[in-house]
Parts: sequence; C-alpha cells; structure tokens
Amino acid sequence: MKKTLLLLSLILIIGCNPDEIITPIDDTNIEIPESLVIDDIQGLKLESTIVSDEVRMNTKLPYTGIYRIKIRDISKQLISQEKINGKEGDNLLKVYVSSLERDGYVIELSDEAHNILGLTTFVVN
Amino acid sequence: MKKLLFLLISVFSTINVFGQTDAQLAYSAVNTVTKVGDTLTVKLQYYEGTDANSTAIEPTLYQFDFQYNNKLLNLISRTWQPASTSAQKAFNSWNGYKFTPDSEKNQNDYDGQYASWLSNDASYSSNSDWSVERVTYQDVTALETGQEFVKYEFIIKDKFNTNYTNYANILNANWANYKKSDGTQIGVTGNATLTDLGSIEGGNAGDVTLSLETNVITNNIADGTDYSYKIYAKGDQTTILAEGSFDASGQAVVSGLENDVEYDAYISISDLPEYLDNVVTVSDLALVFAEAIGAGSSPNGISTTFDYYLQSILANVVGTSIPQGGDVNFDDSYEILAYLQGVTSNNTTYITKAGDVYNISGRKSTYGDVVNGIATVSPTFKPTDSNKSFTFVHGLAGDVNFSHGFEPTSNNADIPATAQSSMASQQRVAMAVGAKYQDEQANLDLTSELRDGQVIFTIGSNVTDMVGAQFNIKYDTTRLVLDNVVFDTGNTMTNFSNHIQENGKINIGSFDQNFEATVKTGTPYKLIFTPTVNLQNTAGLITFRVNEGVKADGTSIKFIMN
Repeated sequence: MKKTLLLLSLILIIGCNPDEIITPIDDTNIEIPESLVIDDIQGLKLESTIVSDEVRMNTKLPYTGIYRIKIRDISKQLISQEKINGKEGDNLLKVYVSSLERDGYVIELSDEAHNILGLTTFVVN
Repeated sequence: MKKLLFLLISVFSTINVFGQTDAQLAYSAVNTVTKVGDTLTVKLQYYEGTDANSTAIEPTLYQFDFQYNNKLLNLISRTWQPASTSAQKAFNSWNGYKFTPDSEKNQNDYDGQYASWLSNDASYSSNSDWSVERVTYQDVTALETGQEFVKYEFIIKDKFNTNYTNYANILNANWANYKKSDGTQIGVTGNATLTDLGSIEGGNAGDVTLSLETNVITNNIADGTDYSYKIYAKGDQTTILAEGSFDASGQAVVSGLENDVEYDAYISISDLPEYLDNVVTVSDLALVFAEAIGAGSSPNGISTTFDYYLQSILANVVGTSIPQGGDVNFDDSYEILAYLQGVTSNNTTYITKAGDVYNISGRKSTYGDVVNGIATVSPTFKPTDSNKSFTFVHGLAGDVNFSHGFEPTSNNADIPATAQSSMASQQRVAMAVGAKYQDEQANLDLTSELRDGQVIFTIGSNVTDMVGAQFNIKYDTTRLVLDNVVFDTGNTMTNFSNHIQENGKINIGSFDQNFEATVKTGTPYKLIFTPTVNLQNTAGLITFRVNEGVKADGTSIKFIMN
C-alpha cells in the first residue's frame, strides 16, 4: 500500500510539475569580467558593441525571476525575444547573432511585464 | 510768283519722294524643321527698289552680312542661285563674332546700318556663339527682283548644354551694301520671315530622373539599391538603350536619352534578398482564396472580392502568364497554399520568392488602370524640355496584398463596389480601398527559452478572430537543430510549415479556407530545437521577421509586439 501511495505521489508530483519551467541560469562560478561590470543595481551590458557570431552580456537583475531579453531592429520592431529565469544580481549570458543580418540593433532587458530595465545597441558585423 | 513756284516745286518734290522705294534683302526658311538633326534651308533674296520716278533701281553690287547662332545651327553648305556667268561672287565667314547694330537706327535699315558700321557706330564684337557670313555678288547687269542670291543649309543642333532654351532669333541680317554701277548707294531694308523655328523636338534630353515607389522602400524593408532599370525604345524589348540601378532613395538619373522620343522602362528587383521569401504569405493566400470563392459564387462568374483590377494579375500565380491576367481560381489559391507548405509543385507558377522573381512595373499615374476590363501598366515615358522626371512603381507577382509592391493610387485602378461580390461590397462600405492592408496591433508573445536542455520557441496568442496566421522564423543552424513543430491551432485549421534547413528558415502558420474557424488562442505554435553546443541562454538564436495574421474579411494583421 505504501509503495502504491509512493508511486501515486510520484506520479502526482511529476504530473503537477509545470512544463513552463525555464532552466535557471547558473553562472555562480563565473567571474564577471571588468568590461561587463554594472555599477547600478540593474541593467544590461555587452562586452562589445560590434559583434560577429556571439558576444558576452551581463544582465544585472534586481531580484530572481523571469525576465525578457529583446532584440529590436532599426524601426524598434521586435525580431527576437528570450525569456530567462535569472537570479538577483549579475547574470553572465551571451547574445548569438549568426541568424541576424548585418545591421544595427537594440537589445533590451525587461521584466516579464515588459518594463524596461536596461538597453543598449549593438551592430552585427 | 516766286512763292507759287516754290510751292509747286515742293509739291512735286514730295510726290517724287513718295514714289521712291528701298530695295530689299529678304531671307526666309525654305522648309520646315521639327527636330534636332533636320536640315534647315535658308534663302536670301533680292527685291528691287525704285527711284523717285518709280523706275527700278538697278544695282550691280550686292553685298550683305548676316549672322547665325553657331551653337544651334551647323552650316553645311552655300549655293549660289543666279545663273549669270559674268558675275563675280564671294563668300566670307568669321566665327566668333556678333554684330552690334547702331541703336540710333532701325535694325532693318540695312544700308543705314552699313553706313554706321563704316563709321564705327555699329560694330562686330567677339561672341563665340555667333558666326558672320558675308555675301558679295557683282555683275554687269542687275538681278531680277525676287532673284535668290544664295541658299544656305544648316543642321539643327541640340540645344542641350547650351545657354539657349529655344530656337528663336538664331539668324539675322546685319547690313546691306547695294550700289549702282556708278557707285551710288542704294537704300536697303530688311524683309525677314525667319524669326523663330518654333518647337524643335529631339536632342539630348540630358539628365532624366526615374523615381521608384514601392513598399519595399516605403516600409523600410530595404532601400532602392535592390532595384534596377532597363530602357528600350518604345515597343522594343530587345535592344537595351540604357540600364542601371536605383540609388538608396529609389532614384536613378539616366543620360543618353533624347527629347521627344518615347521609351519603355522596365524595373526589376534583384532576386537575391532574403526578404523576398516574405512576399507571399498567408495574407495573400486569404485574398486569393476569397477571390476564388467569390468568383464561383456569382452566376455570371465576374464578381470579385478584390479592390483593384491589378490584383487579378498578381493573384494569377498559376496558368496563364502574368501579363495576361485571367481568372483567379482555386488553382491559384491551392498553389499558394502548397508554396507556404513547402510542397514543390510541378506547375509553372508565378510566386515571387528569393531566387525567383516576377516583376511588374509601370508609370505610377496609370499603374493598374483598367482598359477593356483588364488591368494595365504602362512602361512608356517621353522626356521633353519641360518634363524630365518620371515616377515608376513596382510590384511582384503573388504579392496580392501589396506588402512589398506598390498599391495602386490611380482612380481608374479601383474596382467599383458595384462590381464586387455582395459580401465584399458590404465590407467595402466600412472600408476604404486598400484598408484591408493596414497593420494592426496584436497581443502576441514570441519567446525562446532554454528548458530542460532544449530550446523552446513558443508563439503565444490572445488574438481571437484570425482565420489565418503566419510566422517566418530564422534560427542559428550552427547551434540549433530543429526537432519538432507542435501545432495547437484548433481542429479545423489547415496548418503548414515549410522548413528550409540549409538556410535555417521555417515558416509556420495556419489557414481556414472556409473563413470560419479561427486560430486557437494560447500557444498555437511551438518549435522545439536541440542545441548542438553548450548554451547558457538563447538570446538572438531565433529571430522572426514576418508575423502576420488575417481576418475573415481579408484584413491583414501585421503583429506589432511589445
């Protein structure tokens, strides 16, 4: 009976597990390079403005939770968006630009409700 | 008695003076010239004068100067006309001089101007635009009145790059020196009818500007450098007279054309840009399906749901060639659906995409005008002195909703509401022509995220009234492999996905060809990718350029997202 209950409990736990969990960012062992240090309590910083292939990025978050990283084109039209499960403080991430055309873009950090926390520009070369 | 004699002498003298007339130097054009390159023939003639006794004065020396504008006339020949074998004849010419007449005398007082020239009250001064001709004819007997001295032939030159805007006052006589055999100077007046050649056509048109309007430029999809032009003589499509590219703003300056000549210009877009894959979408599909349904619902088969006649050409993507237009039917709609689904068709199709472009271009003012029930475009333009700028527009086959092509603005391009199917007419009451192609804000959420080692791209939608939707997505093939596409759009929707793996492109969408079912809200579309490298996050890995939906009335919704 105990085994059955345990099995049912496990099934219930697995069944209740939401499938929308975004993998939390784990960069606890990575030191934030000086070029990506953000002095404010929140914000977004790229290691380089001119990018080819990929560039490192720091998103400094005010609290742990779901955030959005948006890329907009010259007309500010949204062309790419990522949801991240970030932790409070620095989160060392990357921006991949291989699928972007050579152009100028705006990258934007916002909370889940689209409130902007930081933004900057970059150019795909 | 003395007084009476004086009076009689005075009266007699007056009568005698009234009987005297000057000889004339006449010059006129023999022929009519109308265009640059024509040969103008000018004749110079002698008309006799009379003395106080009304007796013809008989000069034996005839000499005169005239000048012509050498920038507009090219002297090619001089031909003596008198047949006399005893005459002495001479031509002299000087280039770079122009006569300044004596302003105290009438300019047609040729013997007076001659006297003034001798006394330096009239003169020749340097002027590179003018040339002076001197004609001297001397004989033992006088010429018959009306006798031509000489005929000159000139080629009409192009006024392009000159300081002249017309062909007025390009030749005139300066003075005349007629003498009798005893050396008596004879009065000479002018009789000129050659004052203005009027409108001369042709000639180098100089810089002719072609301006291009298309929604690719207007909507900042790209600039004008993707477009090029070819110019032919009107009606010819074999010998290219001029060709080139448009600049970023959509302008091209063409040289080497002639005024008053009709040309045909054809504008095309490079087939290289990737955005050409976004030309034909579910919005076009909806319009073509609606048209196919509408055409079939009418007893006479001529009703339409389109707003412009030109759409029947743009939508006719299979069967009859594009310029012929033709009935839009289910063959066309299913061909577009097959294209969106990535199904290769054996038909000859006119669906514009990267690497395969079908251009339509013409003058803006008449673009899409209906003639005998068929939409037309006109490639013809004619540079003139007063008009050297022409606006052309461009469209693409399959682009029925004008997302990339120019939407007609000519009133003659509109299909009147009375010619539309009843369903479409009712919609037109509330919508201006073209209103079906406006963008609307929509509540959508397209996001990528890293989840359990996979990259999940979801399209969340709260839009409730879409009968169709399409998303053209590009992903980073160096880091991602597409594993699966999950549709949750509703049971009756026709879903499509067209995966072009080598380019990292996938177009997904749905459409209800009955215009009844709508795309389910929630997460109707989900793409699942497996990373091929270690990823910390997914920013930039997946991009989306086309995000559009379509309502049952054909209104295109271009999603604008936060």
